Amino acid sequence: MSASLIRADALHVALGGTSVLHGVSLTLGSGWTAIVGPNGAGKSTLLRVLAGLLPPRSGVVWLEERRLSSWPARERSQRLAWLAQQGEADGELTVRDVVALGRLPHLGLFTPLGPRDEQIVDEAMLATECSAWQHRRLYQLSGGERQRVLVARALAVRANMLLLDEPTTHLDPPHQVALVELMRRLGRSQAVVSVLHDLALALQADRLVVMQAGRIRAQGAHDETAVHAALIDVFDRAIRIERLGDRYIVLPNLPR
Amino acid sequence: MSRCAIKVDDAHATGPSMKPVSGSRTKHLFARCVIGVLVVVSTFAAPQFALGQVTLRDDRGVTTTLPRSPQRIVSLLPSLTESLCALGECDRLVGTDRFSNAPASVLALPKLGGIDDAQIERIAMLKPDLVLAAPSARAIERLEALGIWVVVLESKRHSDVQRTLAVLAAAVGKPQEATRVWTRIQAEMQMAAARVPASIRGQRVYFEVESAPYAAGTESFIGESLQRLGMGNIAPSELGPFPKLNPEFVVRAQPDIIMAARRNLAEMARRPGWSALAALQRDRVCRFEPEAYELLVRPGPRMGAAALQLADCLVALAGNPP
Amino acid sequence: MTHTDRRRRLLFTWCVVLASAALCLLGLISGSQGWSIDAALRDLTGPDAGLIIGQIRAPRTLAAWMTGALLGAAGAVAQGVFRNPLADPFLLGSAAGASLAVVLVLAAGMLGGQADGMVTTGMLSRVGLAAAAFAGALGGVLLTLMLARGAQHTLRLLLCGVVVGVVLSAVGDLVTQAAHDALRGRQIFMLGTTAFLGWDSFALLLAGVLAIVPLAMRLSRVLDALALGDDSATSLGLAVPRLRLVMVALLAAATGLAVSQAGLVAFVGLVSPHLVRRVAPAPHGFTVAASAATGGTLLLAADVLARTVIAPQELPVGVITSVLGGGYLLWLMHRRRFQ
Repeated sequence: MSASLIRADALHVALGGTSVLHGVSLTLGSGWTAIVGPNGAGKSTLLRVLAGLLPPRSGVVWLEERRLSSWPARERSQRLAWLAQQGEADGELTVRDVVALGRLPHLGLFTPLGPRDEQIVDEAMLATECSAWQHRRLYQLSGGERQRVLVARALAVRANMLLLDEPTTHLDPPHQVALVELMRRLGRSQAVVSVLHDLALALQADRLVVMQAGRIRAQGAHDETAVHAALIDVFDRAIRIERLGDRYIVLPNLPR
Repeated sequence: MSRCAIKVDDAHATGPSMKPVSGSRTKHLFARCVIGVLVVVSTFAAPQFALGQVTLRDDRGVTTTLPRSPQRIVSLLPSLTESLCALGECDRLVGTDRFSNAPASVLALPKLGGIDDAQIERIAMLKPDLVLAAPSARAIERLEALGIWVVVLESKRHSDVQRTLAVLAAAVGKPQEATRVWTRIQAEMQMAAARVPASIRGQRVYFEVESAPYAAGTESFIGESLQRLGMGNIAPSELGPFPKLNPEFVVRAQPDIIMAARRNLAEMARRPGWSALAALQRDRVCRFEPEAYELLVRPGPRMGAAALQLADCLVALAGNPP
Repeated sequence: MTHTDRRRRLLFTWCVVLASAALCLLGLISGSQGWSIDAALRDLTGPDAGLIIGQIRAPRTLAAWMTGALLGAAGAVAQGVFRNPLADPFLLGSAAGASLAVVLVLAAGMLGGQADGMVTTGMLSRVGLAAAAFAGALGGVLLTLMLARGAQHTLRLLLCGVVVGVVLSAVGDLVTQAAHDALRGRQIFMLGTTAFLGWDSFALLLAGVLAIVPLAMRLSRVLDALALGDDSATSLGLAVPRLRLVMVALLAAATGLAVSQAGLVAFVGLVSPHLVRRVAPAPHGFTVAASAATGGTLLLAADVLARTVIAPQELPVGVITSVLGGGYLLWLMHRRRFQ
């Protein structure tokens, strides 16, 4: 399956009168891209604009060479799955019901779930290891469990583009690792974009987009020195990036 | 004591008197002093024996003692306004509530609000020496805190009306007027009862006071009047003065006569099941226009006139047999 | 759905159905005679059976159930739309709008120059008053939507609803000051009454239930998606503001219809979804339908109690629902303290 292309041209975005993104342009294809940067850099805002949830003040977002704004909501939602940064989700819905909501873009409001949909739901839960307690209700879950359910919900959409905002929040290391593996695997055939706070995880991605104060400072492959330099710079030299085998790791830059 | 001294001087100045001076002087002195003491004492004792001092016991059980018969009265209940005027003391009224409209002379008086929103300031500015109110008036405490005398009277039954008249008559210092008015009311009731033809006596009445529906029960003053006229009531006394009835009850009771305000009667037949009421089908109803209805629901000195009004309707119904 | 869940739902459904049937039966045999089997048998076999049972008790019983169903469904929708278990259908100014309309109609008769000693709710024909209440409820919600500029943001909608409710209430108070006799009628309306529900009311309410409840059930997936948050729901392809508007419209229609026939009956809309969620939690498709059935049962129970507790006198049905509903919530809070 060819990856869909999402492209942003000179986005200027304002939130409540304050300018948050200044002239952001980027192109995203298949593979796993991590968006990183300090607080307030505009990472989540960028993701929301790409998902079509926030209209830019100026600039255009292109999804598969068509303007995002011209896509009908349903078709857009079949191609873009978005995961919110802060889980507002709560209530009596069971885990399975929540994950099944991911099939909404394909089913609409009225069509009931078919066997194929149920299978997709099963696979999504399997991928984030929540099958064992699929009948528990949202309000009974811990933060980490809830997060995995919500990721499964996004996976169930089977969209070409996954836009995940801080998907590793609340997750403990085994699940973080599992999610990273998942994103890497999905990246081979889809476009996965995740905003990540955890730099160690972000450096495992294929590409990095380094942001600061509403602008993109650098973007490129995870091993480009320019990207590393930008990363160290935006974090005020509080980190060091070292190579370990074929991976890169991040260390706090503590004085000796 | 200086009086005594002066008198002694006067005694000197009266001229040649052949009485022995010391003896008469002492007697005069003593007499004048005694009179002086008596006058002084009586001044302090005066309130106990002064005319116009009034003691009233109201429906709260509170005894109010007024220094003199009240001259500036505010009435916050139409029936109390009417009662006062029936006793011939309309002139003492300086203000009424907004609903008091009888007799016609009170329409010119300042209107001071209703039960829940009596205008305290205006009442106080009128400087009344007595305020008549119903028990539910919220203004009572406020007025009493301002030092205004308040007497609370409520009439639910005929006996209450009689008692209210007695209290008001005592307040204006004319106890015998109460008896006169009550006698008149009774005479009117008798006349009304006499008018009701035997053919219609004993028939059961449903008197509707609200369309929820609330009925006038046997225990209410309306019910008592109906009883005096020899009529029955579908709401027995156990239910209290103004019970809120299940509409089904009225349908089952099949009253012989229905009495209500004209507006209520207009939509009665549309209530579920009420079209089966024989009284509605045969138009055995007493329709009351707003003024007539108002007269009927006021427990005051016009109760006799109200009974006469009821009697007139009954006579008309008896004249047109179903 | 696990086996337990399915069983719970089935059990709940059966309970509600049986309770409703039993209460309907009770409704047919209880009236102004209170709890008396003899009287009931006499009624059933007496010559007036058609009148008493057919024209008075039957429509009243069924219409009371329908009213409760509308309120229960509206409550479930309200709690789903606002994602708040304390939401009730009167939140968006519908209650205040309806009572203002009723007061205006009552006052118009008064201020039209005819002073009555006591007010009567029969001043205008009942049809006029019911229509006014319905229009008022819809008007109140419309005002809220205008103030909130559509159903974009839930919080703004809620706040505007509160504001509109307070303002319309105040206007109603002002009108009552000018036309004092409307006070009594307003109080009767605000306490709720099922006393005069006839076959015509039942027909209206039935039409309302058949039109609104299935529609709300079909749209229940929206309520489920809204539980994830507005943005997540939008990312799933839902036009959230528009759908929320549709939900609010359903809410207004259901509430307006219920209120126009029976006045402001408290707590039924609030408590019904709670009960459903405690016993048989489920996605909104089931919850809306079950809340409707629960609401119908609750209001019918309250109506039967209203008729029989002090027979032949009657309590306003809203008093009973307040006591029962308020008591239930108190008990709930009491239990929470020990959890």
